[in-house]
Amino acid sequence: MIPMRRIAFVLLLVVFGSNGSAQTGTGGIRGAVTSPDGPVSAAPIRAKHQSTGRIFSTTSESSGQFALTDLPAGIYEVSVPQIGLVNAPFAQQNVTVEAGKTTSLHIALVKGNLGVIGDDNAYLTIRNKYPNVRGAAPRLPDGRPDLSGVWNANVDPNPEPAALLPWANEVWRNRLSTALRDYPAGFCLPDDPTPSIPLLYKFVHTKGILVLLFEHEPHYRQIFLDGRSHPKDADPTWMGHSVGTWDKDTLVIDTVGFNDKSWIIFPTGLPHTEMLHMVERYRRPDLGHLLVDLKLEDPGAFTKPLERHMTWALAPGEEILENICNENNKFPEYAGLK
Amino acid sequence: MRDVFLTISFIASAIAWPALPAAAHHSFAAEFDITKPVTLTGKVTKIEWTNPHAFLFIDVPDKQTGSVTNWEIEMGSPNGLTRLGWSRTVLKAGDEVTVEGSLGRNKANLANARSVVMTATGKKLGAASSEGAQ
Repeated sequence: MIPMRRIAFVLLLVVFGSNGSAQTGTGGIRGAVTSPDGPVSAAPIRAKHQSTGRIFSTTSESSGQFALTDLPAGIYEVSVPQIGLVNAPFAQQNVTVEAGKTTSLHIALVKGNLGVIGDDNAYLTIRNKYPNVRGAAPRLPDGRPDLSGVWNANVDPNPEPAALLPWANEVWRNRLSTALRDYPAGFCLPDDPTPSIPLLYKFVHTKGILVLLFEHEPHYRQIFLDGRSHPKDADPTWMGHSVGTWDKDTLVIDTVGFNDKSWIIFPTGLPHTEMLHMVERYRRPDLGHLLVDLKLEDPGAFTKPLERHMTWALAPGEEILENICNENNKFPEYAGLK
Repeated sequence: MRDVFLTISFIASAIAWPALPAAAHHSFAAEFDITKPVTLTGKVTKIEWTNPHAFLFIDVPDKQTGSVTNWEIEMGSPNGLTRLGWSRTVLKAGDEVTVEGSLGRNKANLANARSVVMTATGKKLGAASSEGAQ
């Protein structure tokens, strides 16, 4: 027989537990993602609880509608990353979620880069063509994962701001205030050497070398997988010197030997020094996806390492197309720099 | 449970990036002024199907004076346009089009193209058909 006092205690717990749940319970955010072209489907949406840092994510439906449910009550930052080269990133702080309530949020994306036709070179137009590439990740003859394929790159949907030394911050702010007009690629010099650009990258992977081909300068990267080390006192170069090793099924690429001329973390355009050290980790969990983790250290420019985390999608019917920048580059003249 | 809809509508505010002149190749914002939109209707005189950007040239008549001005219209790369369904032969000399874009900052009779519509068919060229699944 259960004593009445114990039953009363249990009831008390239930009552208090219920009240506690109501005070710290969950709510939701729902709404739609639109752009000037109409609803945006499959847009990645993140809600970050501003006090706990917890991140909740979803993607929009074909109608652009989305719903984030079971969010602990609190204040959130809601963000949508840059989508391809067309839509600028969206970020809205101080979105309140109350227990038992649903907050309605309209995410109106604006055009990035003036919405120029054809400026989206890959991501936005291609991602629709290969929505459900499924299967096991292929393997090389030695049993290692084979990363070969044409990959539709994406940017980090929840990028952390860079922590820059004062000189680097001043340089970066100046770049932003001048609309990135001195961006090296505008003069047909190499683009961002980090895997940050939402364009196509073709991986040609063998046991001894991984070659990356892409449609911007300098059009290729070599990652040596044959056990060699970095050269000592190598001349600094735009893309640096890359060697790869395996951590179980993850390819870890270590790159040093950069010059200080490139602007990094597209489209941010951060400055860096020759001390830049890049570590990339690539894992192919299945046929259609490549998980890309990027870590950049540069004690000459950053106060702490900068990380990015991306998921790229296989674009199996695509190829890398020729793009010879010096053919007809009018940018320096039309930007008033010549 | 009763849902209470708290309506909060926001226009995108890019708090992380005070400016976003993003481009695969360069910053269009350095070339064109988004605060100066322009709509131009005229006949195609030439297409430069070249890298890093394709250019469309159109003769635009002045309705008041009848004089004709040749405008240069900058678009994306041939690769990007190809993936949107364009080709170098989609437009030919003599085709009439209406272009919406922004005026050049540093050169007269220069604009970019946000949209190009063929007068004969009413078809909007190069618009992303949808912004679908990742």
